[in-house]
Amino acid sequence: MSSKPLYLMLCSGEHEKIQLAAMVASVAAVSDRPVEVFVTMNAVLAFERGKIPAERYQGGHFHEMFKTANVPDAVELFGQGKMLGELKMWACSMVLDLKHWECETHLTEDLFDGPMGLAKFLADAEMGELITI
Amino acid sequence: MAERQKIDARGAFCPGPLMELIAALKLSSIGEEIDIWSSDKGSASDIPAWCAKVGHQVVETSEHEGYWSVVVRKAK
Repeated sequence: MSSKPLYLMLCSGEHEKIQLAAMVASVAAVSDRPVEVFVTMNAVLAFERGKIPAERYQGGHFHEMFKTANVPDAVELFGQGKMLGELKMWACSMVLDLKHWECETHLTEDLFDGPMGLAKFLADAEMGELITI
Repeated sequence: MAERQKIDARGAFCPGPLMELIAALKLSSIGEEIDIWSSDKGSASDIPAWCAKVGHQVVETSEHEGYWSVVVRKAK
């Protein structure tokens, strides 16, 4: 039996929230559950192309522990979810417009499936379960 | 019988050991077994739950000093 798709809206730029989103999305995707992630607001900044992990994430109680312990990098986890499961990532078109960014040139390589508007994401999410982080 | 592959994921935090196991299973043939070692407490329950969900077989789970060993057989 196929699982209900999981729709995850990631809007926080806080390290532990991005980490949680990456864990939820990747584990669900490798558990035969289709996942779509809509990245918007401050969260988009963590995916700016060329940033090293130390520059990507900010804030949250666990931020320093994540950096020093052997915790999987959130961007790499999203990548593993895509590679090993059915995971799509969409960047909020409004935020991209505000920043004058394009997915293909300004966001982490090989991670995003393209830009998407909120209305389309919400319409798609009616087919599954929506979580906002 | 094919040699059992061992993955030492001790020191990696959740969901690192599970992701390492899944990556190894992708490259394995049906019937092959992988013994994953994890010091992450959640792995002892997460890996069997994942196997039950996607249809692989847990051969055995054992606790050792500071880590768990979970042997998984690729079933599909």
